[in-house]
Amino acid sequence: MMLQNYLQEYGQQAEIFVNQLQMLENGRLEAHAAIEALEAMLTAGDSTVLLQIGGGASVRAKVLDPEKVLLAIGADVIVERPNKDAVDFLKERIMGMEASQKKVAETLDRLRAQMNEINKRIESGYQQAMAAGQVPE
Amino acid sequence: MFGGLRDKLRAARERLSGSIQAGDAVTDTGSESAPASPQTVVGKSPATPVTPSSPGFVEKVKILIKDRELVVSEKDVADALSELEMTLLESDVALPATDAIIASVRKNLVGKHRKIGESVDALVVGALRSALMDVLGTGFDLKEYIRTHNRPVKILFTGVNGTGKTTTVAKIGAYLKKEGFTVVIGAGDTYRAGAIEQIAVHAERLGIRIIQHQEGADPSAVLFDTVQYATSHNLDVVLADTAGRFHNKANLMSQLGKIKRVMKPDLVVYVDEAVAGNDAVTRAFEFDKTVGADAVVLTKADMDSRGGAAISIAHTIGKPLMFLGVGQAYDDILPFEPAQVVDELLDGGA
Repeated sequence: MMLQNYLQEYGQQAEIFVNQLQMLENGRLEAHAAIEALEAMLTAGDSTVLLQIGGGASVRAKVLDPEKVLLAIGADVIVERPNKDAVDFLKERIMGMEASQKKVAETLDRLRAQMNEINKRIESGYQQAMAAGQVPE
Repeated sequence: MFGGLRDKLRAARERLSGSIQAGDAVTDTGSESAPASPQTVVGKSPATPVTPSSPGFVEKVKILIKDRELVVSEKDVADALSELEMTLLESDVALPATDAIIASVRKNLVGKHRKIGESVDALVVGALRSALMDVLGTGFDLKEYIRTHNRPVKILFTGVNGTGKTTTVAKIGAYLKKEGFTVVIGAGDTYRAGAIEQIAVHAERLGIRIIQHQEGADPSAVLFDTVQYATSHNLDVVLADTAGRFHNKANLMSQLGKIKRVMKPDLVVYVDEAVAGNDAVTRAFEFDKTVGADAVVLTKADMDSRGGAAISIAHTIGKPLMFLGVGQAYDDILPFEPAQVVDELLDGGA
């Protein structure tokens, strides 16, 4: 029973790290999409771009000044940056998120290895109990 | 820990040193060829505020000629400070803390006299160190607090879901036990499935007594029993775990109010994760406003390269940071010592 509790606890921790990994991945993909959009806007010229307004709806829009980007840089602060600087910032952020992903994944691997170890011990305990005829029906 | 911030601070520090040296070169050349022109020694640009320590034109020329000293002007550091400001904000350091750091660095640098040949970097590091120390506060020495207060010292842990409150309770229990204190844990998270088992497993591994009721029981009753147990057994510390909750959930916050009324904690500790950055600061502020907080613990600091929450939380909410959680093992918890953190940020990896 005790080992089952350990396993459950490790499982809960692993779940938290999996969620964090997912959040980092979402952030990374979002930043990639933003870079793609920012770079595309520079070459759009007079054409319109599709602006998503939520609920799957989009409108055609003209970006008045694609050279200037309002960017949330952290600490709930938004600053205006030139398009290229914003792209550089997002690329740096992606690198940061990838580094964090690596760290979280390593921790997750360690947790999983510990869970495997506990599983083996539970299994071996079960086998021994079976051999001794103590396993409840 | 906080590796990203450390690298960025190093870059900002080099930029500051570089710009001061560049300013010196301009000033020095001016003094050798002719009386220094107003442009080279101006200490106050119209766009920047005049600081009381900003030296006047005559004084600067006098110092330069007689004492062979250089004076750091506002103009020398303006761009580098602006860059430092961006660096801090990008690292999720809250705006009030960033403003305080910039103001302190400016105050410590502008008008500073420096002998020719003296290290600019030492001057900059000194200014940064002093600014960071001001913002980080004094920390919170839990051992000293327990020694100087009536036993049992009752510590209530609060915070939002999934930040590592229960693990933190176990880690602090292990830390206090190692320091020779007697501890009892109250399993006050009767809401989350498996929470009681989780804390019970920790307590058993650590050899710490735990008081627990059934899942769904009134947490106030559990924690009241825990305090009673500690009192009757002359224990030093009660660590009270509670269910995670968001500050905008009125019913859960009023339950926390009831727990406070019943167990009368000596300390309310807010637990959040360092990786949440500015969100952790905002949430700590809201919790403090609603149920109060005396100190903060930040978990998962080893996963946080930006360091924003750790730098800003004490300054922003005015409550000290007590511990940093830095890993999975029971001893992966560090008492927060500002001087050590500043050393690591400014010297570590240099």
